Amino acid sequence: MTILNELHPRPNASTRSRVAAALGHFALDQLQQVTDLYRVFRLTLHYAARGAPNRQAYMCQMYEIGNRSLAFLAVVMGFIGMISVYQGGLQTQRVVPDLSLLGATFLQLLVRDLAASICALMLATRVGAGIAAEIGSMVVTEQVDALRMCATDPIDYLIRPRFLACLSIFGALTVIAAGVAFLTGMWTAYAFFGLNPRTFANVSLVSAGDLTIGLCKCLAYGAAIPVISGYCGLTAFGGSEGVGAATTRAVVSSSLAVIVLNFVISGAGYLVFG
Amino acid sequence: MIRLTGVSKSFDRAVLTEVELYVPERCLFGMIGPGASGKSLILRAITGLLRPDRGQVTVGDQNVLAMGDLELNEFRKGIGMLFQNNALFDFMTVAENIAFPLRRLFDLSETEIAARVAERLARVDLPGFQDRLPAGLSGGQKKRIGVARATVTRAPIVLYDEPSAGLDPVTSQKIFDLLRAEQRASGSTVIMVSSDLDRLLTVTDRVGMMLEGRMIFEGSTDELENASDPRVHQFVHGALDGPL
Amino acid sequence: MSADSSARSPPPLTALSQWLGDSVSLLGGLGVLLGQIVRHVLKRDFDERELLRSLHRMGLKSLPIVTVTALFTGGIMVIQAAPIVEHYGAYGLLGWGAGFGTLREIAPLLTALMINGRVGANNTAELGTMAVTEQIDALRALAIDPVGFLLTPRFLAIVATLFLSTIFADTLALFGAAYAGWAFLGIEPGIFYRGLTTGLLGFGDVAHGLIKSIVFGIVIGLSSCHFGLSTRGGAPGVGRSVNTTVVVSAAGIFVLDYLLSFALL
Repeated sequence: MTILNELHPRPNASTRSRVAAALGHFALDQLQQVTDLYRVFRLTLHYAARGAPNRQAYMCQMYEIGNRSLAFLAVVMGFIGMISVYQGGLQTQRVVPDLSLLGATFLQLLVRDLAASICALMLATRVGAGIAAEIGSMVVTEQVDALRMCATDPIDYLIRPRFLACLSIFGALTVIAAGVAFLTGMWTAYAFFGLNPRTFANVSLVSAGDLTIGLCKCLAYGAAIPVISGYCGLTAFGGSEGVGAATTRAVVSSSLAVIVLNFVISGAGYLVFG
Repeated sequence: MIRLTGVSKSFDRAVLTEVELYVPERCLFGMIGPGASGKSLILRAITGLLRPDRGQVTVGDQNVLAMGDLELNEFRKGIGMLFQNNALFDFMTVAENIAFPLRRLFDLSETEIAARVAERLARVDLPGFQDRLPAGLSGGQKKRIGVARATVTRAPIVLYDEPSAGLDPVTSQKIFDLLRAEQRASGSTVIMVSSDLDRLLTVTDRVGMMLEGRMIFEGSTDELENASDPRVHQFVHGALDGPL
Repeated sequence: MSADSSARSPPPLTALSQWLGDSVSLLGGLGVLLGQIVRHVLKRDFDERELLRSLHRMGLKSLPIVTVTALFTGGIMVIQAAPIVEHYGAYGLLGWGAGFGTLREIAPLLTALMINGRVGANNTAELGTMAVTEQIDALRALAIDPVGFLLTPRFLAIVATLFLSTIFADTLALFGAAYAGWAFLGIEPGIFYRGLTTGLLGFGDVAHGLIKSIVFGIVIGLSSCHFGLSTRGGAPGVGRSVNTTVVVSAAGIFVLDYLLSFALL
């Protein structure tokens, strides 16, 4: 009950109406946030299409989002490749002794889902937190107000270069991630199941549909992460606590967005391509 | 001239209640009051950064609250602002910081921009600081860079939010003298929010006092000294006994 | 906005040795912190009210995101397995196929990543704010040990939260998977559940995931406390700390996941 009271203190209301009020309050709040987020997304697209190009900021962000995530992504994807093949191999061995299709199945899974989605979860963590922390600190130190005073919309000046950079570099990061995971997977298959790397490197199962699904995911994640984190940063308020809260919100919301988008795109992809 | 009539705003609670304010042209207006009494919010309302729930904000003959985004951008060309925490962009050099309003608001040549920046830096007594980064400056230096950025567009209205916060007495007095001289030289209309009463009152023409979101006093600097309202009297003289 | 960091970065070998040095000192710092926390736990010398408060704040309030994550993840697992299942016509094995990956890897891993974002980041932000506003120094000045008063209860709460959330997520993910199988493949949830219980999956698989979740909890708890406490430099500093915590924890989770997969078999 304490949580509900915090949300909507109504000492005299009955329990049921208090729960209803809290739920209504919560729903309105969420609706408001979704509308705001949509507005930020629409404005970002508007500026991306119309605004004057800002090459320097764009390159900076490409470096910040792309190059500086590489080491982190390579470590994570390397281990993902080893874990997936190891667990997948164990699982397959319990029903059929033949592991010859392990590599092909793994590659299909990487292209369809794993590479883009794990990459996105990691970027939601690293880049999402970074964007929200940076923009959030600018908000609480009034730098964003100073931008507004100079007739500069923070969505145009701060979110747009991050959006464009993330969107354009996400595909490249996913390809690298898939490559790293595939290599470490190949090594695991060789070391633990004695599978020949030639047999493992089998692209026969990867279809155009898989590539399309993977590409759709890249675009959707690449667009969602910077916009959501930027929005979280812009709505920060109140000193260092505010920046911390905004950063947390950015990581959670963009991770959730990745998972929900993954479900939607995977489901649609399965229905379209089978 | 700046005029606020019946301006009210509430977030979780009322932060501005029926605020009335009139600042004539070429006036240096000082705004005083205890912390969290709504002084900064008034500055934000004048610039259109804060949208009041009720009331009127007029600057010159323009109604600020009726403006759309584009008009607001045009309107803000005429306002310079120094923020409480300076709000210097920490990823830009000093020169880029000062040039930023010029680049975004006006269409000037690079040589002209460089000249204006150098002139401003000389005016705030920090010549040759163009390529330094804000992170490496002292509090007083940052403040002065903030002043340079606020005045670089030669805007007819300049708003200063706590120009002397966190500075030592000597530096504070220097800043106030600088701002006064700047206002005299350019003939601009200035509103200055400050908690540093003694020094503020040495430079102001008119003064207003805020208390709990209300404007409880407005008048010339001399009138403030002899104000009949016991709350104003107590605040100005720093007495412990009284209604506050 | 580190435009000039590339220009100023040292030569690769120096950078590498610097990075190695930083990593080793980080590991050492985490080890010392773990030792201190364990000592406080063994001596039962920590603030129990703070523990309850943290459990409420971290555990209960994470339920919504854990629920959403688990339901969708279960669904995704089935959609990914669908082409293979259809290919072999092995409808009865769907429950086992989705269950194996979910219980051993995906549920503990994704729950840990979400808790890392929600609880780990939040913990760093709170401790970081306390550090930059000198509240930690104030505690020390009052001769109150921040490790016993603040860190140990939070650490325990994080480990407990992640362990319990993983049990919760296991259940919900399988539930989500069963209904996704029904929606996309037309497999009755009953058949899915039978696939889970026919003997190909054992308690070992569940335990495998749960042991991992405890280790992940230790990683998140340690790094969020460490980076929170060592925050410097105002609001931007808090942002940086949160960023570092989530990145270090995420990398740590994946590396330990790999090592544990072998150790536990």
